[in-house]
This record gives sequence, structure tokens and C-alpha cells, in this order.
Amino acid sequence: MRKIWVVIRREFLEKVRTKWFIISTVMGPLLMVGFIAVSIFMAEGGAVRRVIAIVDLSSANFGQQLAVMLNAPEQWDVSRLQAGEEDLERVADSLTAVVGREELDGYLIMTDDAVETGRLEYRGSNVSSLADMEMLQRLLQQSLLIARLDRVGVDPRLVSEAQIPVRMRTVNIRDGQETEESAESVFILAYVMWIALYIAILLYGLQVMGSVVEEKTTRVVEVLISSLKPFQLLAGKVIGVGAVGLFQLLIWGLAGWVIIMRRDVVLEAFGVEATTAQAIPLPDVSLATGVIFLSYFLLGYFLYAAMFAAVAAMSNSEAEARQAQTPVVMLFVIPSILMIGILQQPGGSMAVAFSLIPFTAPIAMPVRWAGSAVPFYELMGSIVFLVAALCLVTWVAARIYRVGILMYGKRPGLKELVRWVRAG
Amino acid sequence: MWLPRRMVRTHDGFTLGNMGAMQNDTVVDVRGITKRFAGHTAVRELSLTVPRGAVYGLLGPNGAGKTTTIRMIMDIIGPDEGSVHLFGSSQTGRDLSERIGYLPEERGLYRKMRVSDLLVFLAEAKGVQRKRAKHDAQRWLERLGLSDWAEQKVDQLSKGMQQKVQFISTLLHGPDLLILDEPFSGFDPVNTQLMKDVVLELARGGTTVLFSTHIMEQAEKLCDAVCIIARGEKVLDGRLAEVKRTHGGQHVIVAVEQGAASVDSVFRDAALVTKADNYGQYAELELAQGADPQHVLERVLAAGARVTRFEIAEPTLHKIFIDLVGPEAGTAPAEGDDAHA
Repeated sequence: MRKIWVVIRREFLEKVRTKWFIISTVMGPLLMVGFIAVSIFMAEGGAVRRVIAIVDLSSANFGQQLAVMLNAPEQWDVSRLQAGEEDLERVADSLTAVVGREELDGYLIMTDDAVETGRLEYRGSNVSSLADMEMLQRLLQQSLLIARLDRVGVDPRLVSEAQIPVRMRTVNIRDGQETEESAESVFILAYVMWIALYIAILLYGLQVMGSVVEEKTTRVVEVLISSLKPFQLLAGKVIGVGAVGLFQLLIWGLAGWVIIMRRDVVLEAFGVEATTAQAIPLPDVSLATGVIFLSYFLLGYFLYAAMFAAVAAMSNSEAEARQAQTPVVMLFVIPSILMIGILQQPGGSMAVAFSLIPFTAPIAMPVRWAGSAVPFYELMGSIVFLVAALCLVTWVAARIYRVGILMYGKRPGLKELVRWVRAG
Repeated sequence: MWLPRRMVRTHDGFTLGNMGAMQNDTVVDVRGITKRFAGHTAVRELSLTVPRGAVYGLLGPNGAGKTTTIRMIMDIIGPDEGSVHLFGSSQTGRDLSERIGYLPEERGLYRKMRVSDLLVFLAEAKGVQRKRAKHDAQRWLERLGLSDWAEQKVDQLSKGMQQKVQFISTLLHGPDLLILDEPFSGFDPVNTQLMKDVVLELARGGTTVLFSTHIMEQAEKLCDAVCIIARGEKVLDGRLAEVKRTHGGQHVIVAVEQGAASVDSVFRDAALVTKADNYGQYAELELAQGADPQHVLERVLAAGARVTRFEIAEPTLHKIFIDLVGPEAGTAPAEGDDAHA
């Protein structure tokens, strides 16, 4: 036991001292801040000022109404130009020149039959901005509706009342109780968990592989094996790297908590007022969620670390290990990507299946847990299957590791691996 | 203190110096071990015993099974048949790692670790207390002139310094038994000498040393006892002095300045010489039963040669080795040491 501890300490201290660890630990919270910043800019619809002209060729007052409606968004500055049909070419040419000088973003050409046919033309330098075009379309749609209803004698006030949009508040019910969580915050939590588990398990699993390969290529392993049992070395290494992973997740978690708690400071740095800040839905992370997340991280990490260690033990060099890792990486990555579906439907049958299969459960179950209520027996079943698979995989991996670390030369085939596992 | 062996006719008093002090017990007891790999048998029914305090050489050409034998002694791989007993107990080399220093044939260290951290870690892995390991690491680094490098990373050290660090890691914990696999390969002459000095000093202090080599001159200078193996099997073992007595015969070394051709006829005289190895600069003659070296000298002078060296010598280990194993043993059928299962 003391010898395992010696290996754990070396693995932990050496990993924590690397540049890679320090950089990634600092980058984590920075990315979080960046993520928040990007989502704020997205929410504000890219608050870019637009100057737009309406070339009004119509005789009715629809053009005026349209100018009023288009001026409604704060960041839009819309002016109206009355013109005759015969002047269109001349006016359009001069406006195009103005757009070319970047004094105008674009102009809308409106004719008399626009109200009937819904046909309008917009020429501008911002036509590739989906957000702008969507907004323009939506406002035009609304104006046309009002104009059409007005023509058949419907009171415009009635029309705007009829158009009051739906604003539905969502409340998550968990274990028969209402929570403060909204649909967005549940989604964000599940999404963050999915990304964090995916990155952490893969990253630290590969770290174990790198560490085993290093010992093999530098041939340190023979000195180690003269003092340590292969299992002591393997266990110490996996636990040591896992401790580094927990340590890093803890730092990230604390940093994330501080960022969320002091988000007003963060947001002010980006020039956003506190009122907008409150509008960003925040996930409510309970203790149970935290425990589930960390438990599944550890179980999943141990499961994949054992497989990566076995892969490394079979290989003679880092390049060879990278090649040999493919089946294990695929086993992890492909279901993880399919699991994006679980985010949409955390209670669906795919989510249930994935959360019970040991190789996918480490990600699927916490994501499901974050997104919906999970029956207790399913949670227990998932853990039991996962632990059972972990024992079996570790047993096989340890046997491959024991033989593999002292073997140099041709990579073993499947038949040979079976012999390694059977031996001893 | 290491006089060239051939200058001394009898040397039992010297080589047995260590043996005299030792108690009559066995540190390494290998009984009939056999190891088979997929294609071939690497070691076959090998037995050897290393007495306490001895410097014991495991000799053999490349691929003879030296490394496989040492790995079985260390319990890195298990023998298919037979058993290994260390210090008279049934515990394995790994259980006794605190008492054993092992230098594998393939050297290697963690490249990114600091020298002192690495030494402390390797000692702790053997079961040494951290505090003691730190203290002893410092002491050894100072002794081998590496104390300025203690806080540097291993990969910032030169190859020679790295080898010294590895060497320190095998003796840092003050083992009772040193097992060194080709300890001098890859060392420059200065470091080779340094290592030999340290090994011999430890041996004089009572440490038992078992080392493998294919360079007979090294074994001859260092060993009290040897075991020669070829193709996985023991050819002979015993104290060096006895080996030489039983396998030697009477040897004469002759170097002539002029008239080398005329001397050839003397060398070919079967009544005087049974075997002549002409190395160019000198020739080593094995005399026939009952032949008198004085007579050989007379004949050489009579042949008109100008003698620059005439020496009555015991046979070199190299010669015994070649005689027993045969020159073709240098090319073993397959590399047994690294073989794939």
C-alpha cells in the first residue's frame, strides 16, 4: 500500500508541475468567461447600428407605416424617400453609390402591389447577415399584416393586441417538486456536464496512456518492476492521474462558481448592465448532482484509463500507441457524439439505454440526471453495471499490462492477447 | 591495485581475499531454471550459487541468456521450471527490493523528472524511507560530482551524467546484493573506472555483486567466481582461480621483433606447443604436457628471433572462454534476451 502511495505521489506531483497542467487550468475559467461573453453578444443580436433607406414608389401611406415599424428596433435608423416609378433607376444608382461609401447599409424598394403580392426588394451590403435579414423579414411580415387587415377595415389597435406574443415560463419538476430551474438552465447544466465529462475522461485517460508509454519507451519500467508489482504500478498511476483530474475539475468548479456568483463584475467588464445579467438563466447545481457528476467521472475515468493503459502496454512507441488507441477512443467518442440527442430528450429510450450501458453510462447518466428525473432503480442499475464492467476490464487490462510492459517488438495480435490474459 | 593478471603467476591469495572474509552462506541460489519463449529455449536447467561477499561474473556471448537469467533472479519474469532463492529465503527479488540493487541492461530514467526527485522516488519504490532516501541521494550526488545537477531535469544532463544517475539509483539504498546487467556497456573509460572503483569498494565492504558481461577482460579483473553460459546452458562455473587451473594448462606469451617467420616453425612443433594463437603483436602458446618454457625460449632464440617479451602466463579468461564456447558462439541462433513471448 505504501508503495502504491509512492507511485501516486510521483504521478500527481510530476503532472501538476507540467506546463500543460498549468496552462489548461488557467484556460478553463478564461474559456468560461469567453463563453458567457459570446452568449451575451448573441443574445443582444449583435448590436450593430444599421442605416437603411426605404425607396417608396407607392401612392398609399403604407410606406410611412413601414418606416415607423422598421424604426422600432433601437439600433436601426430607417428613413423614407418618396420617388416616382420613372426615377427608380436614377435613385437606385445614387443609393448604391452611397452604400458603396458605407454611409448606408442598404435600401428597400417598395411598390404599390407590395401589400397584395408581398413582393419587396432589399439591396444592401448586409444581406449575408442572417440576423438582419430575419429581423427585416419579421417586421415586414408584421407591417404587411397590419396593412392588409387595415384595408378590410380592421382596427389597427385590435391587430396589435392580437399580435401579443406568447411568453411561457418553464419550471422543472424533479421528484414531484417544483424547482427554480427553467428549461434553459436545465439544458445548460446538462450541456456543461456533457462537455466536461467528455473532455475530462478522454483527456485523463490519454494521460495514463502517455505515462505508461513513457515508462516503456524510456525503459524505466524494468527498474520499477524490480521493486513494484505491476498492479501496484498500474494502480498508483491510474489513481495519481485521476487525482490530478479531480484537482483540476475542483479548480475549474471553484472558478466557475466564483464567476457565476460575481457575474455582475464579469459582465460589467463586457459593458453589460446587471439587469441583463439576471436574465441569463443559471443552472441550479444541487449537492446530489455534484456527487453524481464526480462519481461518474471517476468510474468512467477508471474504466477508460485501464483500457488506455493496456493499449499503451502493447505498444512500443507513442506513435504506435496512438494507432492502437483508435478502438478505445471510438468506443468512447462515437456514443458521446450520438448522445447530443440525450440533451434534447433526457427521458427518451436512447438516453435510458445509454445510461445503463457501462461504456456510455459515465456521460449519459449524469447528463440524464441533469436534464430530468431519473428513477432510483435505474441509477442503481447503471452504477452496478458500471462497477461490474470496471472490475472485469481492470482485471483484463492489468493482465495485459503485466505482460506487455516488458515486451518489445511486434505488437501482439488478438490471439496473443488472449494468451497474455490467460497466463498466470 | 589491479595488476595485470598475467604478470602474476599465482594469485590465489589475492582473488580469494574477499572469499576468506565471507561467511559460508549463499546469497543467490539458482536451481535448475528453464525459460522458454515461443520459438526457442532461452535458458535451460541453469543452476548457480553466489556466496556472500563474492564478486560473481555471469559470462556469455550476446544472446546466451544472461539477461533472461538475471530477470528470472529478479522475478521480473518467472522461470518455467526451477526456482530462485535469495538470501536463503523464499521471498522474491521484488519483496526483497530494499536489499537488492538492480541495474538493467536497458538503461532508462524519467526524462522530465528532477534528478534528486527521481532518485528519491526510485529509492522509495524499493521501500526506503523518504528522509533517508533524500539524505543518501545528496551524499551520492556529491560523491560522483553531480550535486550541482540535483535540481536539473534528467534530460538536461549529458549521457554520461545520466548513466551516473542511474548507477546511483541502484546503490542509493545500500543494498546487500548488487545485480548489474552489462554494467560497463556504453560507459566511457573514465566513468567505467569510476564505476569499477565504487563496485569494488562496496564489495570490500561486504556487498555481494553479481554482474553479467560479454567482455572477458572486465570479468577477469573483477571477479572472484564466474559462470560461463552459452546458448542458454551452463558451460562451467567456479572460482576464477580454479577455472584457470583446471582449464588452463601452461601458457607462454612471446613477442618477437625480427624473424617472426622463423619462429613459426617453433610454434608448430607439436612436441612443445599444442595450440598457438598469433595476435600479431604477440602470440599466446599453450604448451604440451611436460614441455619446459625454458626450452621454448631457447628454441625461439636459436631460430634467430629478437625477443621483446617472454612471459609465463596463466591462460586469459578470454582464451578459456573461446576454447570452451567456440568462436561461433558469438552468433547465437536467436536473440534470447529480448525475445517476444
